[in-house]
Amino acid sequence: MKKNFKLLTIASAITLGVGLSGSVKADAVGIADIVGDQASTDDIVSYGLGPRGQRYSPLAIINKDNIKNLFPVWSFSFGGEKQRGQESQPLIKDGVMYVTGSYSRMWAIDIATGDELWQYDARLPEGILPCCDVVNRGAAILGDKVFFGTLDAKIVALDAKTGKVVWRKKIADFEAGYSYTAAPLIVPTDAHGPLLITGNSGGEFGVVGEVQARNPETGDLVWTRPVIEGHMGTMNGVETTMTGTANESWPGDMWKNGGGAPWLGGTYDPTSKLAYFGTGNPAPWNSYLRPGDNKWTSSRIAINPENGEIEWGFQTTPHDGWDYDGVNEFVAFDMEKDGKTIQAGATADRNGFFYVLDRNNGDFISAKPFVKNITWAKGIDENGRPIWDPENRPGNPAESADGKKGKSIFAVPSFLGGKNWMPMAYSQDTSMFYIPSNEWGMDIWNEPVTYKKGAAYLGAGFTITPIFDDYIGSLKAMDPATGEIKWEYKNKAPLWGGVLTTAGGLVFTGTPEGYIKAFDDETGEELWKFQTGTGIVSSPITWEQDGEQYLTIVTGWGGAVPLWGGEVAKFVSYLNQGGSVWTFKIPKQLASK
Amino acid sequence: MRHSKSGRSLRNCCFVLLLSISAMAGAYELPADPLESVMWENMAKRFFPGEVVIDQRVIVRAPLDAEDQMQVPITVDATQLENVVEIIALADLNPIPHILTLHPVRAQPFVGFRVKLEQSTPIRVGVRTSDGVWHVNGVNVGAAGGGCTAPALAHGNNDWYKTLGQTRAVTRRESVDLARLSLRMRHPMDTGLAAGIPVFYMSKVEVKSADGVALANLDLFEPISENPTLTIKPLVSDGITELLVYARDTEGNEFEFPLAVPATVDN
Repeated sequence: MKKNFKLLTIASAITLGVGLSGSVKADAVGIADIVGDQASTDDIVSYGLGPRGQRYSPLAIINKDNIKNLFPVWSFSFGGEKQRGQESQPLIKDGVMYVTGSYSRMWAIDIATGDELWQYDARLPEGILPCCDVVNRGAAILGDKVFFGTLDAKIVALDAKTGKVVWRKKIADFEAGYSYTAAPLIVPTDAHGPLLITGNSGGEFGVVGEVQARNPETGDLVWTRPVIEGHMGTMNGVETTMTGTANESWPGDMWKNGGGAPWLGGTYDPTSKLAYFGTGNPAPWNSYLRPGDNKWTSSRIAINPENGEIEWGFQTTPHDGWDYDGVNEFVAFDMEKDGKTIQAGATADRNGFFYVLDRNNGDFISAKPFVKNITWAKGIDENGRPIWDPENRPGNPAESADGKKGKSIFAVPSFLGGKNWMPMAYSQDTSMFYIPSNEWGMDIWNEPVTYKKGAAYLGAGFTITPIFDDYIGSLKAMDPATGEIKWEYKNKAPLWGGVLTTAGGLVFTGTPEGYIKAFDDETGEELWKFQTGTGIVSSPITWEQDGEQYLTIVTGWGGAVPLWGGEVAKFVSYLNQGGSVWTFKIPKQLASK
Repeated sequence: MRHSKSGRSLRNCCFVLLLSISAMAGAYELPADPLESVMWENMAKRFFPGEVVIDQRVIVRAPLDAEDQMQVPITVDATQLENVVEIIALADLNPIPHILTLHPVRAQPFVGFRVKLEQSTPIRVGVRTSDGVWHVNGVNVGAAGGGCTAPALAHGNNDWYKTLGQTRAVTRRESVDLARLSLRMRHPMDTGLAAGIPVFYMSKVEVKSADGVALANLDLFEPISENPTLTIKPLVSDGITELLVYARDTEGNEFEFPLAVPATVDN
């Protein structure tokens, strides 16, 4: 007791010092907090538990030995009639949780009690066009504001204390098919101070992918960078440089509605000072209408946040014909290989291959399959380009007898990908990536299509089929240096939630069947599970508060699988919707056991 | 007379403040409610802290019975009072009672508006003068049920957002130094009580002179009718020939437009 009192005195003296200097507000999130988020265990102020997106926590209070004692503390219902998919990763700051939900809603929750502090519901127009469920993946936080994007392609800044709108800006025109679902990214710059960076969504409607950077205080645009070759970037409203060279890898006018939406947001590496965004597939799906590589679709691009210029790009699926978006997160990590430390980054692509690149210049290092029976390519060559199998690209409808439907082929992975939006995790202890993947293929054929504003711009038909009778979902531990898969956990329904790993030797993920599960990071042995009552398609977090380690997962079945599932339906059709936050810790009386 | 009160030293002010906190409960006796509302004590405690008097100089005009409970016209005229700093209008028996607050910085203590009523209710107005006293008066308005929990008419239209903030306005010069401004802005004014429709309303209207001097500041709340209709009387004695109106809703949409004040008096 006496000891605690002494500590308190010191703490208040420090606060006073800060107050006198007059520069820092004790309760506000600074840009240094975001950059250093991974190391600080008492808050989560970025998407991915640190801007690199490793989803690794150095906490080990909960570990392999005591996880059996992990129990729920509280559950919070999103309420209302609006359920559907809940893909959100919450943020944590000063005992408050900020969590987003379906239909562009956000809540602030008192972690100690589970009580609601405020709720914000975006007033959405009736005509929104989200392709793949009404999800939101999370917020960003800086200063006294929290930020999140809404389904009508707006970005909103809310007062973190009250939930009231501070400003609200348009990212793009929702009536043309744009929307927004990703968590925004906040990065430091020398030239502009912290910037709030967003991509956009709408790949199924022939939109043009673009990355935008804003002043978080005002919401004013600082720079924009279209990801499709031929379009012009801007700085402070003035045109700067063209992305790529017009018509280098696109024919005619096809680049004008070329797709490539960076709909999953981005990551940032404090060492390279680059922001990494993945880009969606080219539009339309029918690849015969757009001969060429179609840059920068289905790519990873590294953007210098100082000026919005693309430093490098790496195309995982040039001239895509299978809807293999290249949006999946690019996670910076240091790789030990042949006695050297390589400043690397890794990404598990929709196309089924796990790529390791040099994160400073985008040089290709390796690509290994992380799902089984890939058919669209025979492999990846030494330059990182796919070795296509011409038999497994859907046929040209122009070559069919009536010109209406091209030859149908069976491609693995399916268009929902070897891995979709759900983020993987990288353990600094095991040096392994834990990849939530799915084993499925698709019958796909091409049809003629022309662009019409606000209408689906596909030119393809498709249906998904599981590859194995007994499971689709597959959580894999992969060694990025060798491409070896160390262990695999098989799940009947497709996995659609993110992964978290901790210094406690644990790997957490949720399943559509409703379980939040913990695995041994070395062996894959299932150590713990809890049934939350509805499917899980979100990313777990863990943090420390008052000396205890907490775990939180958002629950609520939905996402793209029930909308596009095809033959998969029998694996998932019985799953029920929901919408809750579940928070766990080890009760005090069990903590020492 | 009031000047002497405001001329107290800071120390005295603090002393009085302390005293009033310690004696808050018993300091002022609440007068009986001429409208005999079951909510009177609750409303007075919540919205009119301090001394309250019932004052016939606060004139509240409203229909005896609302023909349309979604659009009930109300006029508040407190021009017989001097040194008015704040006007609060309430509907006691609405699920959300607070209708609006007006700070008539350089305007007459006068406001016209339309309100949604959930059921028959007192329309109650408190007018705070610079001495801190609340002058309260009101009228009972009969209404059929359902004004606040029904969706706005705008929801018959899928493209209501395209006309958001569109405004019709007229400005007259009532006398040499007084203007009368009436405006109607397109806005659904969603209360958040209709199923599945989040709260979304015009929350702030500010009237300024062309060079930015505040004339009247209005905070609007959920009960204000769809497409808010307001009448305000700004003072234009300082050669003001143009007004600026700024409005903002709860989603951060902002609207701003100028309004010319005619040079000649015309009622």
